[in-house]
Amino acid sequence: MGLRSYLSKMRGSLHGSPPRVSRPEVLWSWMGAFLGMAAVAWINQWFFAGTDLTLAIGSLGASAVLVFGAVRSPLAQPRNLIGGHVISALVGVTCWQWLGGEPWLAQSVAVATAIALMHLTRTLHPPGGATALIAVIGSDQVHAMGYLFVLFPATLGPLVLLVVALLFNNLPATRRYPEFWL
Amino acid sequence: MTQRSTLDLSEPPSAQDDPAEIELTDDDILEAMREIPGYLDITTMDFRAVYRLAHRHAIDRLFSGITAGRLMRREVSPLTPEIPLAEAIPSFVHQGLKSLPVVDGQRRVLGILTETDVLRWLGAETFLGLLARVIMDDSCIKSEQHHRPVGEFMTSPVVSVPLDAGLRELLAAFASHPGRAMPVISTDGRLAGLLLRKVFLSAYHLDRQSWG
Repeated sequence: MGLRSYLSKMRGSLHGSPPRVSRPEVLWSWMGAFLGMAAVAWINQWFFAGTDLTLAIGSLGASAVLVFGAVRSPLAQPRNLIGGHVISALVGVTCWQWLGGEPWLAQSVAVATAIALMHLTRTLHPPGGATALIAVIGSDQVHAMGYLFVLFPATLGPLVLLVVALLFNNLPATRRYPEFWL
Repeated sequence: MTQRSTLDLSEPPSAQDDPAEIELTDDDILEAMREIPGYLDITTMDFRAVYRLAHRHAIDRLFSGITAGRLMRREVSPLTPEIPLAEAIPSFVHQGLKSLPVVDGQRRVLGILTETDVLRWLGAETFLGLLARVIMDDSCIKSEQHHRPVGEFMTSPVVSVPLDAGLRELLAAFASHPGRAMPVISTDGRLAGLLLRKVFLSAYHLDRQSWG
């Protein structure tokens, strides 16, 4: 591949981006994400406050974008939502425990390996990369949890989002969720 | 001998040979995406690529029954190059064909003798051209031509197709020459039958209807 064609790839295909969604869709996405995150935060506040566990991690916000903002996307389906977070959390905790002495290495290996494993298991879910990273760079509280991090928040958090998505995304006539389970 | 350009069928047919493929513009795709509520996680380029490949697969599936071997006429008595033209012409009439393969002793195809080849050697481009001349002057068909062998008149080399040639290959082969029939060759290189363009077209057409 010549340098010219390599550089010309950076211009993009010049075919433009997908169109903006309609206003009602914007409103549905807002309401879904509001309810989903409210459920996560509410459970976190009432059941996990005062414990060493947490339910609200940043990557759940990213999951909400997919599950409520791109409902049809293969990346947003239950298999990916749950599987992506669980696999990535396992990778993240393992990387922290084995490579924690070299933080830069632990972080990069965690995210890269999470992506590879999600690919292999057909569970690619972008927020999973964030979950893997959080497991490495997370607070002392996160580090102290060890593999419990995989259960709380990395399984329960997405599970709450999944329940809200099932209940909410099937209300509008224009939406259905999921496209597939497994 | 009439030269007919040979076609390299080993090369994959280009996209233009794909039947009934419509080129989608970005606007077509974006308009369709607007009609589907919600955010679609796909670019127009990706959509077009998926469409093109899926279309090819659908065509392959729908027309998988179209192979040269299934559509060809098996009962064909071929000519040999040394047969005089006068003996070859009745063979066309008996078999109801307008082209006949010319083979050697091992049934390997050497060429094809078509109605057009015969007319051309009688000094006319078409049957009506010949008829016009016969009406004007009934001695115009020179009898010495009748004893000259088929090998001098035939079109060679000839475009032929293997038994398993499918829709794309047959479309490309028929498009590459003006002939109305093509010899079908078995794997050992011998003549297996004759594929008539009209038979191929009607098979293609029937399947098209069940597709719509």
